[in-house]
Amino acid sequence: MLMIHPLVLAKLEVGQHLYWQLGGLKLHGQVFLTSWFVIGALLLVSFLATRNIQRVPSGLQNFMEYALEFIRDLAKNQIGEKEYRPWVPFVGTLFLFIFVSNWSGALIPWKLIHLPSGELAAPTNDINTTVALALLTSLAYFYAGFSNRGLGYFAKYIEPTPILLPINILEDFTKPLSLSFRLFGNILADELVVAVLVLLVPLFVPLPVMVLGLFTSAIQALIFATLAAAYIGEAIEGHGGEEHG
Amino acid sequence: MMNFVWLLAVETAEAVEEGGGLFDLDATLPLMAVQFVLLAVALNVLFYKPLGKVLDERDGYISSNQVDAAERLAKAEQIAKQYQQELAETRRQAQTVIAEAQEEAQKIAAQTVATAQQEAQAQREQVQRELDEQKNQAMATLEQQVDGLSQQILDKLLGSLAA
Repeated sequence: MLMIHPLVLAKLEVGQHLYWQLGGLKLHGQVFLTSWFVIGALLLVSFLATRNIQRVPSGLQNFMEYALEFIRDLAKNQIGEKEYRPWVPFVGTLFLFIFVSNWSGALIPWKLIHLPSGELAAPTNDINTTVALALLTSLAYFYAGFSNRGLGYFAKYIEPTPILLPINILEDFTKPLSLSFRLFGNILADELVVAVLVLLVPLFVPLPVMVLGLFTSAIQALIFATLAAAYIGEAIEGHGGEEHG
Repeated sequence: MMNFVWLLAVETAEAVEEGGGLFDLDATLPLMAVQFVLLAVALNVLFYKPLGKVLDERDGYISSNQVDAAERLAKAEQIAKQYQQELAETRRQAQTVIAEAQEEAQKIAAQTVATAQQEAQAQREQVQRELDEQKNQAMATLEQQVDGLSQQILDKLLGSLAA
């Protein structure tokens, strides 16, 4: 199995996992380790920012207020002025979790910590994480649709014409699929590109790609949160009629 | 178990036996979902609610202050306008007072000049009268003397004739 090619410069592990057993279930340990780090960081920063709330904000409170306003604007733009407030926590947590995950994967040298199997990386470069987030988004927009329009929500499947019924049903499957694979693919591809470049030229050359990776990571977090909010807004307001970005 | 990348060929772990690989879905998925929901709830309590409340309160505070300030500005502008009006009024009054005073002064000056002229006229007339009187007196005296002298001349002439 250990076939060492003469051209191999260093090894790069893909699809390796640190398996944990929980009952009869298998877990990807490295994903949970980094996600706990991300969750801990988010909770810690939130706690520090709201520990001593002032009317005139400064420092961390100011920064987190900026983040909150950004999230609120995002939700408001996609869901609408009237309905966006209950969805701020969901959309905001999506954005913050994905953003901090991506950037932690890009900025923190996780690979210095050696695991028995697999390696630490951004939680979002595991398909399980992205599929979980995408399915939660699907649940969220179904819940939004049903709670706001009751069974009338089903009417959207035959709008604007019943001919589109199969496509409308298909949409419910393609939405989580595209959400999860977009995020997963972008983050994994970015980490692979950086890793491969590091293998080829260890110094300086990977830097622009790393900066590009930071940029795409942030964009992916924004895209995921924006699309989730857009789906929720669409489910609340119904197909057509209202325009969406 | 090990995959290697050499140069740009990335070999994924599709071929790995007993699990593993890129698309390895297992119990990580539901647990991650639960974890995410818990994170959302925790952040809601810890982050969104308190900071959201602060943002809303600040918005209210700012808008009420703005209304207050606008009211005060309107009041200040009104007071300034009133002050301007009063100033203009006072200026006009001052103008009229000055005009009246000037008029009065002119009147007084004219009167004084007139009386002085009258007095001067009266004095001149009196002096003229006295002068005339003295002239008349002098003429009368002169006439008397002329009469006396002519009498004397007549007497002398008549005396020499009679003699």
